Amino acid sequence: MVVFSEMFISDLLNIPVVDHVQDPIGRVSDILVTMGETFPKVVGLIVNIKEEKKQNILLMSEIDLVGKQFVACKAVSSRICFTTLRDGEVLLARDVLDKQIVDTEGARVIRVNDLKLAKVDQEIRLIAVDIGFSGLLRRLGVLRLFGSIAKIFRKRIPDKLIGWDHVEQFKTDIVAGRIAIPHKRVEELHPADIAYIISQVHEEEKTAIFFSLSERKAAESLHELEPRLQAVLLQRLEKKKALSVLERMPADEIADVLGDMPQENTEQFLRLLKVRKSNQVRKLLTHSDETAGGLMTTEYITLPENISVDQGIKRLRELAVGAETIYYIYIINLVEKLVGVMSLRDLIVAAPESRIKDIMTKELIKVDPTDEHVKVADIISKYNLVAVPVVDKDKKILGIVTVDDVMDVVLPPISRRYRHMMG
Amino acid sequence: MIKRRFRNIWLFFIIIGPGILSAMAGNDAGGTATYSIAGARYGYNMLWILVLVAVSLIVIQEMCARMGVVTGKGLSDLIREEFGVRITLFAMLVLLAANIAVTISEFAGIAASLEIFHISKYVSVPLVAFFIWWLILKGSYSAVEKIFFGVAFVYVSYVFSGFMAKPVWKDVLFSTIIPHFKFNREFVHLAIAMIGTTVTPWMQFYLQSSVVEKGTKKKEYRYQKWDIIAGAVIAAIIAFFIIVACGATLNQQGIVINEAADAALALRPIAGNYAAALFAIGLFASSFLGACILPLSSSYAICEAFGFENGISKKIREAPIFFGLYTLLIVIGALVVLIPNLNLIHVMVFSQTMNGILLPIILIFMLRLVNDKRLMGKYVNSRFNNLVTFITAGSLIFLSIILLISVVR
Repeated sequence: MVVFSEMFISDLLNIPVVDHVQDPIGRVSDILVTMGETFPKVVGLIVNIKEEKKQNILLMSEIDLVGKQFVACKAVSSRICFTTLRDGEVLLARDVLDKQIVDTEGARVIRVNDLKLAKVDQEIRLIAVDIGFSGLLRRLGVLRLFGSIAKIFRKRIPDKLIGWDHVEQFKTDIVAGRIAIPHKRVEELHPADIAYIISQVHEEEKTAIFFSLSERKAAESLHELEPRLQAVLLQRLEKKKALSVLERMPADEIADVLGDMPQENTEQFLRLLKVRKSNQVRKLLTHSDETAGGLMTTEYITLPENISVDQGIKRLRELAVGAETIYYIYIINLVEKLVGVMSLRDLIVAAPESRIKDIMTKELIKVDPTDEHVKVADIISKYNLVAVPVVDKDKKILGIVTVDDVMDVVLPPISRRYRHMMG
Repeated sequence: MIKRRFRNIWLFFIIIGPGILSAMAGNDAGGTATYSIAGARYGYNMLWILVLVAVSLIVIQEMCARMGVVTGKGLSDLIREEFGVRITLFAMLVLLAANIAVTISEFAGIAASLEIFHISKYVSVPLVAFFIWWLILKGSYSAVEKIFFGVAFVYVSYVFSGFMAKPVWKDVLFSTIIPHFKFNREFVHLAIAMIGTTVTPWMQFYLQSSVVEKGTKKKEYRYQKWDIIAGAVIAAIIAFFIIVACGATLNQQGIVINEAADAALALRPIAGNYAAALFAIGLFASSFLGACILPLSSSYAICEAFGFENGISKKIREAPIFFGLYTLLIVIGALVVLIPNLNLIHVMVFSQTMNGILLPIILIFMLRLVNDKRLMGKYVNSRFNNLVTFITAGSLIFLSIILLISVVR
């Protein structure tokens, strides 16, 4: 039986455990739960028994009453059955309390100050995480004191609770094996949010979160991370999975990651990638990071100048899959020199039978592969472009730099910044 | 691939960084003042302590870096996760007290160094305090770290000065090997300060966090280890020569250090009439660095322990407690120094004594953590490491008790 409807584990820890005739047995030292369900069920209490060092589990079936002052057992002390703790079981105070946890609703990393239990149909379940100041005060045993002080000023100390169904914990430091907690909820977040979370947690958890992602999500999130970290995470991943993550990324992003790895690893990945992609990546790798060449992607769309608009649209449909942006279409002549550019809009509104040559813009705004980031950003900003072509001395197009790649350089999101000790 | 070559050099620096940086930062205002007074007052007699301190510095810093690499967590994180809220509060109060003391000594260093150039502390301290506050808020911390490498040369000049003062090397060697102890308040006070300024509580938190942030892997740990050892050795050598230089000059001439200008005389053999200026520049730069790092490192440690939003990349509104603490520490540090008729040199030394008294508490936490098999696996402490740390903590407690008795009597 449970006499409370809601209770914090800081209230439960350290209260006395007594037997059927009120003889003291020991004190509550931890709480055993089974993970897996949305709200984990409390299955037992760890009881510290005097003169015994072992961690004894008192199963809920042995317990008659859980109150705020004490816990009473059904039988007399000599007849109580204890079980022992096995590896891989989750104890709330040891494994969850005070640890970092991911709030999937707010997409941020928080610290667990207290945990809230509640009675749900005769069972005690973990329902919420307290991350607020009141949780800290309760742990210190001064919540009531501060509460009455706040009352004088007609204020309340608010609880900051997050439902257990909105958090995700990444356990990695249990000695024997890992506890598999499904990471569905993180998987559903936006890649940029996932990257933000990864950038905020500890080293081991970074790996754990990244490992838990599907290949598609991993591919999307990876580029949002700080470049050096991208390489580290990818190298820790199992080769086969790492490869299929890479396969899902655009060539410029692959080049960014591989460029941060030791030479032999880069080579190994390049050999395993599909030939077309690995050739693109190899080319990109020859450019320095800080230039237009290092920033560009090779996944853009070109059309020959001599076809009609109608044919052009047909080609576009076939090519669109592999391109980073289809909004700009680059027009090349027979010897593959860049001669013009047009927007998707130009193409669609033009008469179907008109020649591309006649409607394309011939005044090209372009950058050199050795141009610095800032110059590329300036040009994109000045001419209000979505992308700018990178063109070599022979007027051949090498790639394009898109506005979002430039934005990442000019205004890096927190997840992409190198997290220096001081920031 | 052009970009790779640069990256390797960069990688070298980020791995090599934290140990050397934090050990050198130990030779800040408080360090310089303490070593100078030790040399001026007792000649070479305290050198033997320095040798022992260097050993514990290496051992303790290495422990810290190892914890950072293995757990991937900072020291305050670990304390919170392993010991719970109450003990964390206690540990953080200890750290805060020690760090406020050091911050005060950094501002005292700023005031004292600029007084050599005849700038009143009532002008210099508020201005510099505001500048530091603004600099970090603007997010220019890495610029600060770079200033540091530029000033290291001032400390190297102590090494030359030590040689050029022509000390009697036989005496120096003798005092380095043979322990010499005086049971009076001043000696005990200085001994605690010497340990406390070399092995500081804040440094352990700072070092471990930087190791974690730099993301050193277990595989790369041996480089990190050399970085730690090199840092500790360099710090100890510089401290050694500050004492030798002061011993060979000030102590021989019977000069008592009452203000920064007196301590500057130890650089006369190398810098001649520019000794005061050289000393002032070095003292100013290292105090400035310390005054930037300490308030920041304290707010980081405390906010991380309690799970408050933190980071200088955040806005003030997003992390009010973090920026509040940071501002508070700077304000306290600056205000205390502005008290009229304060002897700045004594403030610097006293703050180091305070550090020395509080250090054992932090060391005990570290010992508990680094010996935890669940946390460290096979990387738990060796018996030698435990012994050295234990002796360091033990002697500090012992000395503190003696100091307390001598004060009460």
